[in-house]
Amino acid sequence: MKRDDEPLTPVERSVRNRKRLVWLIILALLAGLFYWLVVVNQYVVAQKSEQDHFLHGSIGAETANGLPYWVFKALPEIYDDKLGGEGWGKFGLITLPEDDLPLGFSRRVVTGVERVWFNCSLCHIGSYRMSGGEQRLIAGAPSNNLRLQELIVFLAEAGRDPGFTADSLMDGIETAGGDLPWYQRLIYRHLVFPAVKTRLQWVSERLAFIDRQQEWGPGRVDTFNPYKAIQFNFRMDQAHVGDDVLNGSSDYPAIWQQSPREGMNLHWDGNNDSVAERNLSAALGAGVTPVTVDRAAIARIEEWMWQLPAPRYPGPIDDEAANRGETLYTRYCAACHGRLAVSPPPYPALDAAAPYGPTPPLRDCAAPRPATYAAVWNPQTRGEADDQPDTYGEGISAYAPARRYDYDRGRYPCLGQVVPLDRIGTDPGRWRSYTREFSAAQNLLYAGYPWRFERFRKTDGYASHPLDGIWARSPYLHNGSVPTLRDLLEPPEARPVEWYRGSDEIDPVRVGYRSDAAAPGRLFLFDTSLPGNGNGGHDYGTGLSARQKDDIVEYMKKL
Amino acid sequence: MNPDKAFPHEENARVIFKTLKFRSLEIKNRIFRSNISGTFDDYNGHGSHTRLNWEEKFARGGVGAILTSFTPVSVRGRILTRYAMIDSDDKIPFWRAAADRVHGHDCKLIMQLSHSGRQQDLGGVENLHLRAQSSTSKRDYFHGILCEAMTKPQIANVVNLFAQGARRARQAGLDGVELHGANGYLITQFLSSGINDRKDEYGGNWEARARFVLEIVRAIRAEVGPDFHLQMKINGEDHNSWLYPWQKPGNTLDETLRICRLLMDDGKGVDAFHVSSGSTFPHPRNPPGDLPMRDLVRWYDGMISQGTRAGFNHAIFSNRLTAQVFRAYWRWRRGKVIEGINLPYARAVREAVHAVDPAIPVICTGGFQHADAIAGAIRDGDCDAVSIARPLIANNDLPQILQRANGPEQRRECTYCNKCLINDLENPLGCYEVSRFPGNSFEERYEAMIADVMSVFEPPTYPPPTTAAHQRVQP
Repeated sequence: MKRDDEPLTPVERSVRNRKRLVWLIILALLAGLFYWLVVVNQYVVAQKSEQDHFLHGSIGAETANGLPYWVFKALPEIYDDKLGGEGWGKFGLITLPEDDLPLGFSRRVVTGVERVWFNCSLCHIGSYRMSGGEQRLIAGAPSNNLRLQELIVFLAEAGRDPGFTADSLMDGIETAGGDLPWYQRLIYRHLVFPAVKTRLQWVSERLAFIDRQQEWGPGRVDTFNPYKAIQFNFRMDQAHVGDDVLNGSSDYPAIWQQSPREGMNLHWDGNNDSVAERNLSAALGAGVTPVTVDRAAIARIEEWMWQLPAPRYPGPIDDEAANRGETLYTRYCAACHGRLAVSPPPYPALDAAAPYGPTPPLRDCAAPRPATYAAVWNPQTRGEADDQPDTYGEGISAYAPARRYDYDRGRYPCLGQVVPLDRIGTDPGRWRSYTREFSAAQNLLYAGYPWRFERFRKTDGYASHPLDGIWARSPYLHNGSVPTLRDLLEPPEARPVEWYRGSDEIDPVRVGYRSDAAAPGRLFLFDTSLPGNGNGGHDYGTGLSARQKDDIVEYMKKL
Repeated sequence: MNPDKAFPHEENARVIFKTLKFRSLEIKNRIFRSNISGTFDDYNGHGSHTRLNWEEKFARGGVGAILTSFTPVSVRGRILTRYAMIDSDDKIPFWRAAADRVHGHDCKLIMQLSHSGRQQDLGGVENLHLRAQSSTSKRDYFHGILCEAMTKPQIANVVNLFAQGARRARQAGLDGVELHGANGYLITQFLSSGINDRKDEYGGNWEARARFVLEIVRAIRAEVGPDFHLQMKINGEDHNSWLYPWQKPGNTLDETLRICRLLMDDGKGVDAFHVSSGSTFPHPRNPPGDLPMRDLVRWYDGMISQGTRAGFNHAIFSNRLTAQVFRAYWRWRRGKVIEGINLPYARAVREAVHAVDPAIPVICTGGFQHADAIAGAIRDGDCDAVSIARPLIANNDLPQILQRANGPEQRRECTYCNKCLINDLENPLGCYEVSRFPGNSFEERYEAMIADVMSVFEPPTYPPPTTAAHQRVQP
């Protein structure tokens, strides 16, 4: 045993131990602070305006599912040939000149690594152009360009690709301009890459059924089959998900004017009548999980879309024809879809306490209304506003709000109601894809929280919805199987059988995106004879004369 | 105005210079030199020539009795190094010499038998690797001096050390012994409810806490017989929470009175009580006065190695702001009274003790230096005598002054600055209050002060040859 002839005195030992304890506490506090700052705390970019928050803000999808920023930047470089040089634009993603990320992607720093993934605007940013005009964006309109299926397949293939290695990733990052410091290179090579690869392989396995599906095409999504696979681990093989429920792709919906929609049967099949629950569910589709959801961020979007105005038709309207059409519309359409508010009174009696109609339940009544919207709907100037409306929104996605719509379900008793499938007759694919087992599973989501889902149900058909801003929601029917409003007024057998999706040029006569082979844009041949793509049903007004139909369409431009 | 001031000085002097009789001891007046000394002795506890000079200064000055400074019964019970001890028979010759010196001035010498317990400020190299002995294992809250609770065999050993110390004192010809049961030393550590946390028969209620000192009293009586003067220094109250309000307050006066009656042991116990207060040393109430912060910065540094909190304290003292806050706190915890601060306790003790045995005098300590205050206290029955330390350091001849005047000249009075207390840690004990010394400049006054402090070394151990002898060796 070693002799110690210079031991510390008891006091020195005690002071040394105290110092060690103090240092230990300081180090523990510092480690705790570091852990909290880097591992626990997440960092997002705060957006000033509500619209920017919708377009660029994070809803928490990055935490569980996000791609690390430099992986997201490197993938288009690694697979440049596959993407034809278009980068993420290949999937219909729009990147504004001043932006680093495409619209619909947000960023969040999680465990010290910046990640990017979807936000709400991925599926709800529409575009249009008038003949020969510039492309315009409408925040909140259906994402007519988004080819989500192709995007998923691309990522799944990257997961399976033996060529996607740490080396190729690091090369891709370098090509993308990522001059990373050494420690980040180490993190990306040894931590990020294996995690990403594993996750993409997992996604590839979970979503393998996509290969069996009909192509979704631009502007469409199969909402619930991936949901079943990812959130609930449903078995998705042929034995469990047959062809009958496999093809439920449908158009993205518009998300404006949610306040009057509260209580209506939402989603195409009307499976939920709570706007908030529908929103949280949709966020799950964008990649949040019940644990990682950023409810405050979603609440801010909810607040914004609660009163978000529908866009006004940007082209000329033949008032005479529209007036004739109004009568016909009122007779044949309004009971299920509502109509423009008539004058007088175009607006409900306004008072200081509730100038903009009913306040939704469980909302902060004192929250200030978005300034731009208050200006638009100023009760003093609303008369003129119908003629010369102010602009809503900012930048490229600024637009004139639509005329006031009347959502009164007392006046229009079928508005927001589910019409049984045997009456509506539209394609059953989407309806079938939403199963009773699935709704039961959904109602277990967020168990233990006050916002636990409780309103999901299986319905017997498709729901009728308000048609505000309907000109910007082309193509039509839930599965986007009818290119224009005018086509929808034709009997099913007279509707286009094969036509092209993918152009965002407005057809000002038939109202809807152009669907001919000469339309500008990257086109996708839509075959209504394939499962899930049927264009039958909804035969209302199909017996009218061609001129009457034209008049109705003219009127619907005003909605 | 104190009504006692109505008495003429002669009357006050008559009261003060009246003989005081204990059961087995008689002293010429009512002034004790309280237990105080400097680091004058040999490191190993043997007394020195300087110590003889020191004690003689006061005997010459006219005090009736001298209480030796804290005299450790063992080296583990030492507070400061270089204090003469009584831990072994080989110390008897020194104390005999001390008694001779003191007796030469018709003054009595009473040995204060002591054990520091955990209040071991500078334990010396002998104790460097040892934790101090105490009733508790909780470190002292002021300096953070480490300690461990004594085992019962250790207690029995220390009891015997006290008894042997008393025997040695008697053999050395001293006139009595005092047990230092006040101011936070080992006996207080057992007595105080604020410190003693024992679960055995030496801890608990007041009677159990007093078991240790009662055993000492009985052991001493067994060793030296009933006719050797034995007195007990005790706190009126502990005021144990003076520094940290969350500390337990310690013994109340009522408990002290019960302990005093217990220690009388049916007439076989102590012969007198010496009343102080405060469960630490120093304590705002003992010695009552100011706190010289600059001196603390200069001379407290030696304690940094002795206690776990001493470094923190020194940092407090070194910062101008915190030092002044601490000083103000210190003065506030003391209160307004300095001279006679313990008289209310002494009066209560005297009443309680005299109710049993009027032959047991009570001595009170605490800032006395005026005849009217001393005589007034005795006349009123607050106490039978007073013990004085700092005013006697300031004026070694204070008893002579009090015979002719109410007190020293004002500019020569003790200012209660406590610089003597703090300087004692590293310098020869003496009065370090420069303002008290004559001179037209600081240098002159400082020189006078140093001369006074150094006077304790005169005459030196080896005096130089006289002039005649010196001349003889010159060719």
